Amino acid sequence: MPDTVSININGVAHDVEAGQRLIVAAESVGEVIPRFCHHDKLEPVGKCRMCLVEVEGPRGKVLMPSCTLLVSDGMVVDTESAVVKKAQEGVLEFLLINHPLDCPICDKGGECPLQDQTMQWGPGESRFVEAKRNFEKPIPVSDVVLLDRERCVLCDRCVRAADDIAGDPLLTFIDRGNHVQIQTFPNEPFSSYFSGNTVQLCPVGALTSVDYRFKARPWDLGHTRSVSFVDTVHSSVDAQTSRGKLVRVYGIENDRVNEGWLSDKDRFIFSAVHSPDRVTAPLVRGDDGFEEASWSDAMALVASRLGGYLGGEVGAIGGANNTNEEAYTLAKFMRSVVGSSNLDAQLGDGLNPHLAATVTPRATIDDLDRAATIFVWGPDLKETLPVLYLRVRKAVRNGATLVVASPAGTGLDAIAAHVVRYRAGSGSDVLRKFASGDKGYEGAREALDAGPVVGLVGRSSLAEDPMMAEAAAGVVRSLPDSKLLTLLTRANIYGALDMGLAPNLLPGRVSTADDEHAEMLEDAWGHLPRGTGRSTTQMLEDLASGAMRAMVLVGADPVRDCPDPGLAQRALEAAEFVVAFDAFVTDSSIHADVILPAAVWGEVSGTATNLEGRVQEVNASVRPAGQARSLNAALDDIAHLMGVDLRAAKVADVTREIAAVAPAYAGITPDHLTFESDGDGVIVPLEGEQPLKFIPVEVSVPVVTSRLTLHFPDALYDDGVWNRNAPTIAGLARQAEARLHPRDASMLPVHEGDIVSIEERFVMPVTLDDTVPVGSIVVPRNVVGTKGLTASTSVKVEAVEGGA
Amino acid sequence: MTWISDLLGPFKGFAVTMRQVGKPRVTRKYPQEKRVKPPRFHGRHVLNRYEDGMEKCIGCELCAGVCPANCIYVRGADNPPDNPVSPGERYGFVYEINMLRCIYCAMCVEACPTEAITMTHLFEMSVTSKEDAIYTKDELLVDPDGTPNHPQAESPLIDVKELRLGDGWMRATSSAGRAEYEGVVAWTPQARNPDLPVEAGQSAESTGGDDG
Repeated sequence: MPDTVSININGVAHDVEAGQRLIVAAESVGEVIPRFCHHDKLEPVGKCRMCLVEVEGPRGKVLMPSCTLLVSDGMVVDTESAVVKKAQEGVLEFLLINHPLDCPICDKGGECPLQDQTMQWGPGESRFVEAKRNFEKPIPVSDVVLLDRERCVLCDRCVRAADDIAGDPLLTFIDRGNHVQIQTFPNEPFSSYFSGNTVQLCPVGALTSVDYRFKARPWDLGHTRSVSFVDTVHSSVDAQTSRGKLVRVYGIENDRVNEGWLSDKDRFIFSAVHSPDRVTAPLVRGDDGFEEASWSDAMALVASRLGGYLGGEVGAIGGANNTNEEAYTLAKFMRSVVGSSNLDAQLGDGLNPHLAATVTPRATIDDLDRAATIFVWGPDLKETLPVLYLRVRKAVRNGATLVVASPAGTGLDAIAAHVVRYRAGSGSDVLRKFASGDKGYEGAREALDAGPVVGLVGRSSLAEDPMMAEAAAGVVRSLPDSKLLTLLTRANIYGALDMGLAPNLLPGRVSTADDEHAEMLEDAWGHLPRGTGRSTTQMLEDLASGAMRAMVLVGADPVRDCPDPGLAQRALEAAEFVVAFDAFVTDSSIHADVILPAAVWGEVSGTATNLEGRVQEVNASVRPAGQARSLNAALDDIAHLMGVDLRAAKVADVTREIAAVAPAYAGITPDHLTFESDGDGVIVPLEGEQPLKFIPVEVSVPVVTSRLTLHFPDALYDDGVWNRNAPTIAGLARQAEARLHPRDASMLPVHEGDIVSIEERFVMPVTLDDTVPVGSIVVPRNVVGTKGLTASTSVKVEAVEGGA
Repeated sequence: MTWISDLLGPFKGFAVTMRQVGKPRVTRKYPQEKRVKPPRFHGRHVLNRYEDGMEKCIGCELCAGVCPANCIYVRGADNPPDNPVSPGERYGFVYEINMLRCIYCAMCVEACPTEAITMTHLFEMSVTSKEDAIYTKDELLVDPDGTPNHPQAESPLIDVKELRLGDGWMRATSSAGRAEYEGVVAWTPQARNPDLPVEAGQSAESTGGDDG
C-alpha cells in the first residue's frame, strides 16, 4: 500500500497517492486539468502554463503549474476559480497569437488538444489582429516526419521524447523570446528509430508524418486494437483504417509492454499490407511460370501431392509471422495429417527451442524496472527489438546498472556502465573470464553480483554459435536473484514455438520426449508421430540430398534468412514439391510449385505470444487482399481433402482447443484476452507449472580461431520483403558496409571508403571503426548488397583494385 | 334501406368533385410553367472557384464528416507546388456526391470553411442508372470562368441557368450566422502572409531529411 496524502480539490477532499504530480493526482480523482506540455511518460517541464491552478499557500492563494507541483498533505486546490479561468483563457489566447487557423487542412484537426482545449477552456475570441509568424513549410525533418513550425506551441514534448526516451537528441529550440522555434541541427536530419512517436505526442499539428499526410481525417477512422508483429515485444497498437485500408498505426499505452512507444518500423510497416505486389490469388507453376488458379484446384493439387509422400519426407518451415491459432493448426496439420515431425518456425537463425520457449526463471518486461542490474548478451537491441531498447533505457534512467557484452558497438553502449567487447567467435573465452571476474572484468562482475539481475540473452548475430546464448544464460542463471529473457526477434516466434512449431516441442511447451503428454495429444489429435523431427538446417540438407522430398513454406524466406542461403536455394530447387503460404513472391517462394495467398497481420484475428510469454489478442482491421485466406482456414480445407477434420475453420474453436490441449495455455479463455477486460493480455502459464522447464547451465563453446571472424548483425531497416514493400521506410533500408578496426584495415590494406570484396562475391565500402575488435569484421545481414552472404564464422576479405 | 344509400353513393362522390370545379387551380402546368423558388432553395451543389480560377475546395472532408446521409466522398492530396489547384497545401482531389442519397439539408454548405460548396436552384436531375447519380468533381466544379457544369443538356426540364442561383445562402452559412461575416472566408488559405519575409532558420534543403 503506497503512502497517501489528503488533498482538497474544489472543496472536495480526496486521498491520493503521495509523490505524484498534482495534475496526475487530480486526473486520478476525475478533475481534468488542461495541459499541453505535460505527458505521463515524460519529465515535467512546466513550459506551456496551461495547467495553472490556484493553490493555497502561506501567502494566500497563488497560481501554480500543476504539472510540476508535487501533492502534499493538506493541499487545497481550486481548478475552477475565476482567476484560474482567466489564466487559462489568457494562455490560450497567447498560444493562438501565432498558431495558424488552418485546422481544415491540418492532419491533427479533429483530434487536436489545442482545438479541444480552446473549445473547452478558451476565450472564444482573440484580440490579436497582428500578422502571425511566417515560416517555410512544411520542412521534412526526416524521411518520415514533416515539421510546420508556425503551428508549434513550444511545449517541448518532442524534444523530451527524443532526448530522454529515445536517446536521440536531434531536436532543439533555437533563438530566444519571440523568435524561439523548434529545429533540427544543421545538416543533421531527425533520423531516429523513434521519430514517429513525436508525431503522436505533438499536441498540435506541428509534427506530422509523411505517410499519413492528407490521407484521411480522424473522425472517419476505424480503430482496432492489436499488437505489432514487427518484433517479439508485441507492442500494443491502434490500427486505424479508412475506407477499408490501413492508414495509420498509433501506439497504445500498455504499461506492461510498450508504454505507448513504438519504433518507426512498428508504425510505418503497415503499408506493405496494401502493397500492389501482394499475391492475391493462388499461383500454380505451369509450363511457363506461375499461372493463377482457383483455390479449389490449388488445394486439391496440394492435398494430392502431400498425401503421396511418407510423413518423414515432408517438412514445414515458418509460421513465425502467424497467429498462435494459425501456428497451432500448422503443427496439428503437419503432425496428425501429414504425419511429419519436421517442423521449424526458426530458420536456423534462432536458439534452442527449449531455451527460447521454456527458459526458467523467465523474466517479464517490467522486471527491468525492478532490476538493479541488467545484463545484455545478444543482438543490438536498438536494431532488433527497439521497444525493449526503450524499456532498458528507462530502467537505466531510473538507476539500474547496465552491462552490455557484444562483438561490436551497440545502441546501448552509451548508457552502459560496463561494456564488454569481444571478438566475434571468441565469446566463450570472454564469458569465462567475465564470469570468474578476471582482471579487467571486475567492475562488470561486481555489478552482476548486485541483484536482482535481469539477463537479456540472445544470439548476437547469425554467425555466432547458438550455444553461446545458452552459455551466457547459464552464467546469468548462476547469479543470485536472476531472471532471464531470451531475445528472438521474429514476430510471433514465441507463439509458434509454444504451439509446437519446433522439431523438439509439442504444443504448450511440452518436449517431444514427454511420452505422457504425447499420449494425451495423440488422443486429442488421432495421430501423432513420436520423436524429434528435423530442424530447418537439417531439412534443407536432406532436401538438397534427396532424403526429403517435399516442403511447406509458411511465410518463411530461408533463401534470405537462413545462415546458409546457398543451401536453402539448392534445397528448394531440388525439392519435388514445394507449397508456399505467402503474401509475396519472395526469393524462396519463387521456387514453389504452388503459392497460396496468405492473409497477413492486419487481416487475421487470433492471439499471439511475446518474448515474456504474454498472450495478447491480434485483431483484423481490414479484409484480406484479393483471395488471401488465413492459414488455419486454408489448412482446414486441405485436411478435409485429405480426409481429416482439423476443426480449425473458426479461430475461436482453435483458441479453445489450444486451451484444452496445450498445457502451458490451460485455462486461457477469451475473457483473459479481450482488450476490453484488462487490456494488457496475460502471461502464460496462468497457474500451475508448465511441463518443460529449461534451466540453462554453463556450457563451453569452442572459440573460432581464424584470421578475420564475421559479426553479421541484423539491421532494423533491412532488405526483407516487408520492408521493401512499405514505401515509407523502404528507402531507409541499410546499405552494405564492412566495418573494420583500423589496424585490420591497414593490413589489407584499405582506407575509409575503399571497396572490399567479401567471399569474392560481395563488394561494399569500408568504414573504419575502432569499437570493432581487432580480428573481426562487421557486415549487416540482409541489407541492400548482402543478400546471399553465408553466415559463416570467418570470411575472406580482399581489397578491390581501384575501388575507391 | 341500404340499397338507397348504395344508389346515392356515386353522387356523394361527384359532389366533392363538383364543389372544386369553380375554384382556382393550385397545380401548375409543369414543366411549361415553373414555380418561383424561394431564395434559399436547396438544389444541386456546385463546387466554386476563386476569381483567379483557383479551386476553393481544400479537401478537408468537413462536408463529408457532417453529412447526415453519408453521401459525400472527399479525399485530399498535396497541392502540386508549381501548379497549385487551390490556395494552401491541400486540395480535394476526389469529390463525389451521391445525389440519390443526398437529403439536401445543406449541412455541407454550412460546414465548408471556404464556401467551396454551395447549393443552387437546380433540382431536375433524373438519371437512368444509379451510377449517373454520383456526381464527380468534373460535374460539380464550375469552369474557371465560373460557368457551372451539368451532365445533362439544356432542355425544357433543365434550366442550367438555375445553377447560378442560390446566393441567399451566404448569410445563413456565414460564421455564427452574423451579417458581418457574410462572404468572408472563415479560413486563411495560407498561414503565410506574403508581405512578411520568411523567418530565419532552417529550410527544407538544410535539414536534409535523408537516411540515417
